[in-house]
Amino acid sequence: MRRALGIGLWLLMAAAAVGAFLLVPHLISDFHSRDLAEAGVFFIAIVGLNLLTGYTGQISLGHGALMAIGGYTTAALVVHEHWRDVWTIPLAGIAAGIVGFLIGLPALRLSGLYLALATFAFAVAMPSLLKKFSGLTGGSQGLSFLESSPFQVTGLKGTVTVFGHTTTANHFLYYLTWGIGLVGLAIAWLIVRGRFGRAFRAIRDSESAAASAGVNLPLYKTLAFALSGVYAGVAGSLFAIQSEIVNPLSFTVLLSILLVVGAVVGGLGSLPGLVIGALFIKYLPSLAGHVSTRPGVPDFIYGAAIILVVILLPGGAGGLLRRLFAPLTTWLYTRP
Amino acid sequence: MKFLYTAAGLVCALALATVASGAGTGTPGVSPTEIVIGGTVPMTGVAQAFKTVGLGASYYFKYVNAHGGVNHRKIKYILKDDQYDPAQTMAKTRELVEQDHVFAIFNSLGTEHNLATRPYLNAVGVPQLFVASGANTFGTDYKQYKWTIGYQPSYRAEGTIYGRYVAKTAPKSRIAVLYQNDDYGKALLTGLTRGLGKRAKQVVAKQSYNADDSSVQSQIAKLKSSKANTLMLFATPAFAIQAYRYSYQLGWRPKVYVNVVSSASNIMGLAQIASTKKEVEGSISIDFVKDPTDRRWAKDPGIKLYRSIMKRYKDKGISANDPYNVYGMSVAHTFVQALKKAGKNPTRDSIMKAATHLTIRNDPFLLPGVVVRTTSSDHFPLDQARLERWHNGHWVSFGGLFRVR
Repeated sequence: MRRALGIGLWLLMAAAAVGAFLLVPHLISDFHSRDLAEAGVFFIAIVGLNLLTGYTGQISLGHGALMAIGGYTTAALVVHEHWRDVWTIPLAGIAAGIVGFLIGLPALRLSGLYLALATFAFAVAMPSLLKKFSGLTGGSQGLSFLESSPFQVTGLKGTVTVFGHTTTANHFLYYLTWGIGLVGLAIAWLIVRGRFGRAFRAIRDSESAAASAGVNLPLYKTLAFALSGVYAGVAGSLFAIQSEIVNPLSFTVLLSILLVVGAVVGGLGSLPGLVIGALFIKYLPSLAGHVSTRPGVPDFIYGAAIILVVILLPGGAGGLLRRLFAPLTTWLYTRP
Repeated sequence: MKFLYTAAGLVCALALATVASGAGTGTPGVSPTEIVIGGTVPMTGVAQAFKTVGLGASYYFKYVNAHGGVNHRKIKYILKDDQYDPAQTMAKTRELVEQDHVFAIFNSLGTEHNLATRPYLNAVGVPQLFVASGANTFGTDYKQYKWTIGYQPSYRAEGTIYGRYVAKTAPKSRIAVLYQNDDYGKALLTGLTRGLGKRAKQVVAKQSYNADDSSVQSQIAKLKSSKANTLMLFATPAFAIQAYRYSYQLGWRPKVYVNVVSSASNIMGLAQIASTKKEVEGSISIDFVKDPTDRRWAKDPGIKLYRSIMKRYKDKGISANDPYNVYGMSVAHTFVQALKKAGKNPTRDSIMKAATHLTIRNDPFLLPGVVVRTTSSDHFPLDQARLERWHNGHWVSFGGLFRVR
């Protein structure tokens, strides 16, 4: 009986989430749905980062650079090869997945802080690498979609028609981004609840214990990096589609650090809280700017907010949700 | 369940659409009491010296508003910081158009930055007025981009002036060039080569830097090693100041030509502090606005007006001696004239028509004799300038006013 009730409640929550996803852009202005779509980009990247850091215990400070791989794959295909922008998303994911796999290789020998430093170096080097190969990447000016034909670029025409149904470009970007985000979340959930997830968590909790229990460490570590790279690449691709320009300034070290902040605020090792994490890194800087625009003040408020969250909510938003629902879940899952 | 939400969503959307269409009669950004325009300038970051291009214009609008506005409408000018990053210019411009519903984009700064937003603004049909860049394309490609018009004299023409001047006065000199690696720096370089004509071989070394680099130290060292005795600085203020400093540190004292983008007297003052008086002395540039620190204009009615506006409206920390404010006021003055011409109830079409059919002879902020002129086939509002030489901490102009194209 309780089990049926639990499943019912769970389905209700999933339906509410889907309903909110469908409804939200109609409740806010057209422009704000574009803002939300930008938060969706962070969401996708953070879900991927959480698979790696939250579930497998491998710290990455280089996810901004993986987003750059995805973003530039999309930009290069649109600008040089004249693809339609949305069709480049899978390729961008695959490209960043391959790069993620390659970064995963040193992770087999490095752990903890050393791995963090190695990935950090990757993030630091990325803008310079992008400038170096200027034939492909456009150097420090980057690549702009806006000179391409309106049939290739989603944002140029103002409206998008899908299956005979016309929406504004901003609504389309919102549905595209969060649609992919929700599918990505579902896939991540399926991964972490199954065999892979158990292996990931075993590695996180103790590598030697995991190895002695027969978990193939090199396989699962590089797999976590590759998977996480696919998420970052898709996020980077959507970022490029939304901003219509990619340049090295879009993918600095700061972006990588922001993603880690988002994952921590959302809750490492939890999935639903990541929505909060994504909204946090998207909206807090502008909210901080509303308090005062004096130089330094917004940064101060931003920093203080992060410290407060870490002190008050050590488990992030995911931890808070878990605590709030603890009485309910205990009641549901305890046999009388 | 899902059907219910979708239905509810559709109802809400319909309701919103009705409200929106009720409010939005007529031209966006134009109400009976207000005209809303917007633009981007770098308020922070490497190019923040340019922020007064936007702020100066905003002070002039405040002055106009205090005197009744234009046709009883106050001008609301929304300035956004793009940190001199074209991707941010794009995002902020979109915000201005789609969220703030501006009538027009006005005085946005930077070559790459305006190039980035131009296809978008022309696709949605929002005027991109008097862009703060001297790239030729803003004046020549009006057939393809009918909603865009520039303001200042073209960079290519400026480079040509320096080239001709060097070829005439110092045909034996060896020229080194530092330029920003984008359309702005390259346009100046092209102009220089054109102006030198047969003497183009005088250029013995060229070095470029990227707008997001942190220093031009190695470039200056390489230029010095070419044994050049003349240095062309086709660089934004922060890098021009660095160039003076590093040249001084290396004991190199070339004759410097500094492009108008960085030759404001306050920037030259900073260059002088960063190097020495001797290093900066004799530098050559061009000008078309009145320099507020020039004693010749102390009693000039235009600069007097400028000083009184600054005294009344300027923000804390902004110096009235910063000539970019004068530039900002000049472009704002031009906008006000265009707006007056655009009729009692301006539309985006009528403001474009007005902006491309201007003759303003009495802009108080421009050098005497400089005329703002546009016709349907001439989209360069300003195309006159004077040469000037830095002497004893001031610019001294020499030679007459000439036309640059």
